[in-house]
Amino acid sequence: MVRNTDPRLSPDPEPDQQPTRGSRLADGLKRGLTWLQQPLPAPPATLRRGPMRRGAFDSKLRSPRLTSLLGLALAVAFTVCFVTGLISHFIQHPPLWFWWPSRPVGLYRVTQSLHVATGLASLPLLGAKLWSVYPRLFAWPPARDLTHAIERASLAVLVAAALFQLFSGILNISRWYAPMPFFFTAGHYWSAWLALGALIMHIGVKLPIIRQALTRATPDRPAPGGLSRRGLLATVGAAAGIITLATIGQTVTPLASVSVLAPRRPRSGPQHLPVNKTAGGAGVRDAMFNPSYRLTVVGPARTVRLSLTDLAALPQHTVVLPISCVEGWSSTGTWTGIRLRDLVALAGVDADNAEAYVESLQTGGRYRATTVPAPHTRDPFTLIALRLGGEPLHPDHGYPARLIAPNRPGVLQTKWVARIIARGVS
Amino acid sequence: MTTARRCLIAIGAVIMTYAVFGAFTDADVNFGALIFLIGALIAHDALLLPLTIAAGVLVGRFVPRRFRALVRAALVISLAVTIVAFPLVLGRGRAADNASLLPLHYGRGLLEIYALIGTTAAVAAMMRAWRDRRRRTAPPDPESSPAATS
Repeated sequence: MVRNTDPRLSPDPEPDQQPTRGSRLADGLKRGLTWLQQPLPAPPATLRRGPMRRGAFDSKLRSPRLTSLLGLALAVAFTVCFVTGLISHFIQHPPLWFWWPSRPVGLYRVTQSLHVATGLASLPLLGAKLWSVYPRLFAWPPARDLTHAIERASLAVLVAAALFQLFSGILNISRWYAPMPFFFTAGHYWSAWLALGALIMHIGVKLPIIRQALTRATPDRPAPGGLSRRGLLATVGAAAGIITLATIGQTVTPLASVSVLAPRRPRSGPQHLPVNKTAGGAGVRDAMFNPSYRLTVVGPARTVRLSLTDLAALPQHTVVLPISCVEGWSSTGTWTGIRLRDLVALAGVDADNAEAYVESLQTGGRYRATTVPAPHTRDPFTLIALRLGGEPLHPDHGYPARLIAPNRPGVLQTKWVARIIARGVS
Repeated sequence: MTTARRCLIAIGAVIMTYAVFGAFTDADVNFGALIFLIGALIAHDALLLPLTIAAGVLVGRFVPRRFRALVRAALVISLAVTIVAFPLVLGRGRAADNASLLPLHYGRGLLEIYALIGTTAAVAAMMRAWRDRRRRTAPPDPESSPAATS
């Protein structure tokens, strides 16, 4: 059925030549490829039992067309997830060439919500796709030749990496880390590359089958009483729709009451905003209430230390900005505080060409400090906020002062800010 | 097309190599990730999918033919929702000092979704039964052939 026996994948025979180094290399390559395509000895037929028997899977619903349609939808979903995930990764670990604007303020909210929602919606797609090719797992003989064996191994990698992405993503938004014996972000990132590579290779191997299946009409003849192809696709679509509606309320506030499986409610939490890291969890409860607290702003020329009274005396600004978490939830807050660019200027740095390294009172942890790049440092919406919704910040929201910048992931909105190091950029 | 295929296969191989190399040189990824990778594959291919197919076989054996497709569709949707809901219902991600984490009663939410799926399937089944009965009892109508409604 879905089999790769296209002889055109083997190298074309080359005309006879003088044995130069190049032709010897080509010769060796050709011999290698022929060796890879040598038929392997067939395993004894008595081993062909259980699911490997002929006709062990009897569903009439499976067809290359069904598999190709599901595969096409999955490829789109995985591409969306990969691109949005890569954006989120690059914002947090920017390579030299990467540039991320500070406007539109809610762009990251959209890309990351899309990342999580698309990943969740692709779960029924992946399930149906894997069901549609499950008999191929028990194909006989298990490997015709070494090329076939390598191809099947790469398929195992593709399936494993795809499942890795969905399972680890679901565990992450449920904040259940015990089943994942690795740092989620790093594992999810490298597994995404693995899935992408294996997917591209898979498309390359199956391209003729996919093309034929998608261009040639195949009659949809369900077994009596069975699901039709259209019926299965509708079922998968309905499952994706229900999953989306049941969770999207964590970022689309009007749907919050419908989303009975949303890991977060945009309005639930202190001061009507969810919290990821609490003051207790960060170990900053003593330091934040210490009367000797000063916000230190360090510039190349001078250092300024500001008490809470000093901070309250500086020009205050109010902005409405979302907190958008990497976990796919988001919520809008009304923040009041001092513009970061004003503080950078206080330290004697040109705020239009500066970046700021913002450190928390936290003594450790992955997200205790962050660099605010030039576009966000310059942006008048970027605040060191002292108030949320008109009240002083709740301890869990970063009292006495926190960073809030437009178009940035929540983990980079440093709470309990203690020190800002301003430096000019060219 | 052969060139395109060779390119895709080569690009895929390069990216996979990059991923493996990157994972091995990243201090935050250890062999735990490999265990999870293999575990996910086994959990799906050797447990989840065989059980799903077995459930489908049971439906084929015990559910009247005309309702089979509906029941299967309802079960497939319920399974997908259950996988998403499972860690939420279990609630291991809750923290004593953070009420905004997993604030809902997810077991109840899941039951509500089951109820919605079940009700929809039941209504669809009743409509089908009603239509079938009308077709059997009504005198043959030259205007509409049975094929048009099946």
